[in-house]
Amino acid sequence: MNRRRFLKVLGVTGGGGATALSGCSTDNVEKLIPYLVPPENEIPGLATWYASTCRECPAGCGFHVRVREGRAVKVEGNPNSPINQGKLCSRGQAATQGLYNPDRVRAPLSRGDNGFFEPITWDAALARITERLNAVSGDRVWFVTGNEAGAFDSLVSEWLAALGANPSIVYEPFGYEAMRHANRVVFGSDSIPAYDFAAAQYVLSFGADFMDTWLSPVEQTRQFSEGHSYDSGRMGRYVHVEPRMSMTAMSADEWIAPNPGTEGALALGVAHVIVRDRLASVPSDVSRIQTLLDRNDPASVSGVTGVSVATIERLAHEFTAHSSLAVAGGVGAQHDQAHASVAAANILNYVAGNVGNTVTFGADINPSGESSYASVASLVDDMAAGRVAVLFVHGADPAYATPANLGFAAAMRAVEFKVSFSRFLDDTAMEADLVLPDHDPLEQWNDFEPRAGVYTLQQPVMQPVFDTRQTGDVLLALAAQLGGSVAATFTAASYKDYLQARWQRLQRDRRPFDVFWTEALQRGGMWTEPGERAVRLAAGAATVAEGTWPQPSGEQLTLIAYPSPALYDGRGANRPWLQELPDPVTKLTWNSWLEINPVTAERLGIADGEMIEVSSAHRTVTVSAHLYPGIKEDVVAIPMGQGHRWFGRYAGARGVNVLDLLAAEPTEFGGMGHFTAVTLRNTKDYEPAATPAGRSRQMGRGIAQATTLAALAHPEEQHEEEHSEHAAPVPEHIEEVLDEWQEAQYREWKQRGNYAAEDLPRWAMAIDLSKCTGCSACVTACYAENNIPTVGEKLMRRERGMAWLRIERYFEGGGDEPLEVRVLPMMCQHCGNAPCEPVCPVFAAYHTPDGLNAQVYNRCVGTRYCSNNCPYKVRYFNWWDHSNENDAAFSFPDPLHWLLNPDVTVRSKGVMEKCTFCVQRIRGKQNELKLSGESLQDGDVVPACQQTCPANAIVFGDLNDPDSRVRAMATDSERGYHVLGSLNTRPAVTYLKKVTNSAD
Amino acid sequence: MDPAGPEPPVAHKGIMTRHAILLAGSLATVSVLAFVIATASGKAQGTPQATTAADTAFEAPEITDTASLEGPRQPIFFRHDVHAGQYLIDCQYCHVNTEVSPKPGIPTVSSCMNCHLVAGTGIAEVDSLRAYDRDGREIEWVEVHDLAQFVHFPHEVHVNAEEEFELVCEDCHGQVDRMAQIYQFGALKMGWCLDCHKEKSEQFDTVVSTDCSVCHY
Repeated sequence: MNRRRFLKVLGVTGGGGATALSGCSTDNVEKLIPYLVPPENEIPGLATWYASTCRECPAGCGFHVRVREGRAVKVEGNPNSPINQGKLCSRGQAATQGLYNPDRVRAPLSRGDNGFFEPITWDAALARITERLNAVSGDRVWFVTGNEAGAFDSLVSEWLAALGANPSIVYEPFGYEAMRHANRVVFGSDSIPAYDFAAAQYVLSFGADFMDTWLSPVEQTRQFSEGHSYDSGRMGRYVHVEPRMSMTAMSADEWIAPNPGTEGALALGVAHVIVRDRLASVPSDVSRIQTLLDRNDPASVSGVTGVSVATIERLAHEFTAHSSLAVAGGVGAQHDQAHASVAAANILNYVAGNVGNTVTFGADINPSGESSYASVASLVDDMAAGRVAVLFVHGADPAYATPANLGFAAAMRAVEFKVSFSRFLDDTAMEADLVLPDHDPLEQWNDFEPRAGVYTLQQPVMQPVFDTRQTGDVLLALAAQLGGSVAATFTAASYKDYLQARWQRLQRDRRPFDVFWTEALQRGGMWTEPGERAVRLAAGAATVAEGTWPQPSGEQLTLIAYPSPALYDGRGANRPWLQELPDPVTKLTWNSWLEINPVTAERLGIADGEMIEVSSAHRTVTVSAHLYPGIKEDVVAIPMGQGHRWFGRYAGARGVNVLDLLAAEPTEFGGMGHFTAVTLRNTKDYEPAATPAGRSRQMGRGIAQATTLAALAHPEEQHEEEHSEHAAPVPEHIEEVLDEWQEAQYREWKQRGNYAAEDLPRWAMAIDLSKCTGCSACVTACYAENNIPTVGEKLMRRERGMAWLRIERYFEGGGDEPLEVRVLPMMCQHCGNAPCEPVCPVFAAYHTPDGLNAQVYNRCVGTRYCSNNCPYKVRYFNWWDHSNENDAAFSFPDPLHWLLNPDVTVRSKGVMEKCTFCVQRIRGKQNELKLSGESLQDGDVVPACQQTCPANAIVFGDLNDPDSRVRAMATDSERGYHVLGSLNTRPAVTYLKKVTNSAD
Repeated sequence: MDPAGPEPPVAHKGIMTRHAILLAGSLATVSVLAFVIATASGKAQGTPQATTAADTAFEAPEITDTASLEGPRQPIFFRHDVHAGQYLIDCQYCHVNTEVSPKPGIPTVSSCMNCHLVAGTGIAEVDSLRAYDRDGREIEWVEVHDLAQFVHFPHEVHVNAEEEFELVCEDCHGQVDRMAQIYQFGALKMGWCLDCHKEKSEQFDTVVSTDCSVCHY
């Protein structure tokens, strides 16, 4: 400390020697800055929760946003929402990383004469647009939006109509064009019906990744978990048909890999058997499609699909033996002939009598609205031909999310004036002349209609982080400036007014509007149940397409471009949490990869991690190979989401954009074809994968255990226990010694006067593996709750990832045997006899009297003995100072650190950290109860992972409470087990074995 | 808390500087600028230096040499001995959240102005306060009680422990109603915390937890 610094410190601490040197308050002078005026609804130190809507995908889940001191710090599902009922996926959990993203456009930008963006004032920007709009005729103005079912959509339509401009083009890369087309042909309605996965005891999915990204994944995961998971001797059965095993398919009881793009034929074959054998009460109008079904007899279908006749017959019998549901339309059916697959699944549902039961029209799902790839393709033609003078783009990134051969970016350059409302400098915004950043969804007023009758609201939960403006307000301001009839169209002074006017029309009751409005805001929206609409086979149902994907010949393989469960279509790519989230299937992070079957890889001389040149008729990309047994031998796959040219520091120039390989021409149904024929060439370059995963086989360790429904039904029969040799029971005398030791420990604690042991809870967790799908929402929730830093690709390669909770994924079988995937969430097991505790030389790792294995950061000196001694490898060491902006591994660039949870310590370099069972929530609840005088109830403390788990697989609670759910699960003698229990660690986490419902 | 507020938050700025947020891992620091014992309500009866009814005649001294005062110099020379000592204003009149929030907080400028819109005209420091209010500037108080960010101190639980454990504000904050300038009274070190926890355990024959994970997480 130099003299000047000393005087400075002295100055502020007042010179009192005792004060200057006492306590923790010495040299860092902190300021306390009170509000000028106390904000409503807010008490410093306590969280305020606001209801809003997740806009990370078109599913429209409800949010509760936790706000501390005016800042959103965490989002959790809104329990009132009929869609997600309190749960969220990884992408939803990462919404705050969009809000505080350091790469957001911080103020309006205009392209200067030198071609670079320069700041511009809002007034000047609006004046420039007005001038342009006054100078061109309306028919040369185009507007591209993402899916905005609600007030914004109608505002844009009215605004464009007033201008005399063309109707807006909605573009979502997943627009479900094939579904709408097929539903129109088969049922005469192009809406998307509601599928009830909970009521279906038998689910047959033709490529629909209904728990990854398809339609409404959180809702469907909950329903699937309800309908499928094991419960007192009963469970559903799920068969997945797709050449690639997606994350959803990992939960299947049976995976059938047909020839790529032949799912439709298989569905028709199953329908054929049902009608032929009258396995269900087939509706009489099925006669309309009799010839269609006749053509698809099992023998010919078997020839097309490569699925045996016996399997087809069996599927038909299984499908009709229970209440069932067939779904098609996920990425497995996103090829040129996808409408044929969806149509076939529709017919299958119809002949089995599912329409009106598990498939209902009425409460139609609206993902992606009227999105159409074909209309974007025709816009490109117009732009290239110079027919577009002014182009507005909002909520879509077509320059990235269309095949490179479409030439969207190049065509944009032919447009005189391009305005982007993007929050990021994405690939489309980089081509714009003006970038007018919109508010983040957490900063704006808006509404959304994810399905007929469900209207959800968004409200600003905090002041905008940057100088952004809501696009609705910008459009209204422009209308006012344009004057004349355009201005006269709108009476609303602001977008909020416009929104409220719409909600006044939505109100059905006679209460004063502000009462209705306040209640809707608090609830998160308004839900009504529209009546069910009966549908029949349409007259033209017999004319459905029957095509299949043309199998490539020779050395060519079929490439599937599928949406990444974490990054979706790429919109999540600039969120470090999502980049660092190991892909649920491959466990790879921060990059693109090519999935290839090990057999094919061997044939082509390709090893894991080698860089492969993948060439289609359109482009070539180079990407590292990942050997994946869950993909058919003639198929390879690359996830979407990476390969942005711009977008931000996390996404830009990372991996490859698989869409580059695809054909630009729209398919017959107006969508984008996600299949293409490719050839591979091994460059022999090598890039090690950034993955936290070790072996993908359990090597007999019995970590993720499973059993079958049949074995549970007949426990008396000897079933082959695959891991029996490792699950050797602990000898009785050892058990006794351990019990005595544990008792002695509690006695000692009590004698020390520290703890009243009998009154204390014993915290424990139980995880039902028959529910867990491996979706990894819990992992991201854990990052958000516990201030876990992301480390980046380079450090992930060195296995320096910090995730306290990981999803382990193991393969069983494969080759000639059916491939089975097991997933297991692994976090600190809070062992009763923890190996980490006795080896800590400074007592930083110790056991609390309420059963937690605690880690005291300020004691930890970083010997890492605890981690070395932990058999579960769930302790993570801070090799870097992730919260220090001068450190190379700094993880929280301004303003990303605003999302840090104030209740959790930010760890510094040199300390060990790990899962705490969300101790901050336990202590917070205990303090709360101390004030209210109430006693702890089961379910009062909910850790972040349990809170968000869409499948409800995780249960946390007090083992000492005889009525607690966790106690019931922990004592489940049928399926309960401890991972590596034979090591005598006595974990507080009990796993319930996965159950497979194999074919009879 | 209600799951959803009826209206969005009104315009405001964050309570801490960005710098402070980064350093402190947001608001993990439990910090108090000042705490005064509620003399008027008789909360402090029984402690040796407590103000009694006879002391209501206490008159805060005139101070000419502020340099000799203990504690950091603040942007406004706010005198707790005048407010809490001489005028017997209950501490929770200004520190409103002490009973409900883990973070006691310090009064907003607007709550100062409740009185000083009228009271105190002619006093230089009150003029200074009014200038802050008029210009809409925040007052940047220097933090006196600063805990490390790896310690979690639930202020509300301690304030509410008065009946059960005879714990009063003065035990930690000292005789605030006699302080012309606030200084740190308690050591705020772990031993100091534990001494009290053990003492109260013995005194009331119960368990006041000394488990690490009650505060460190």
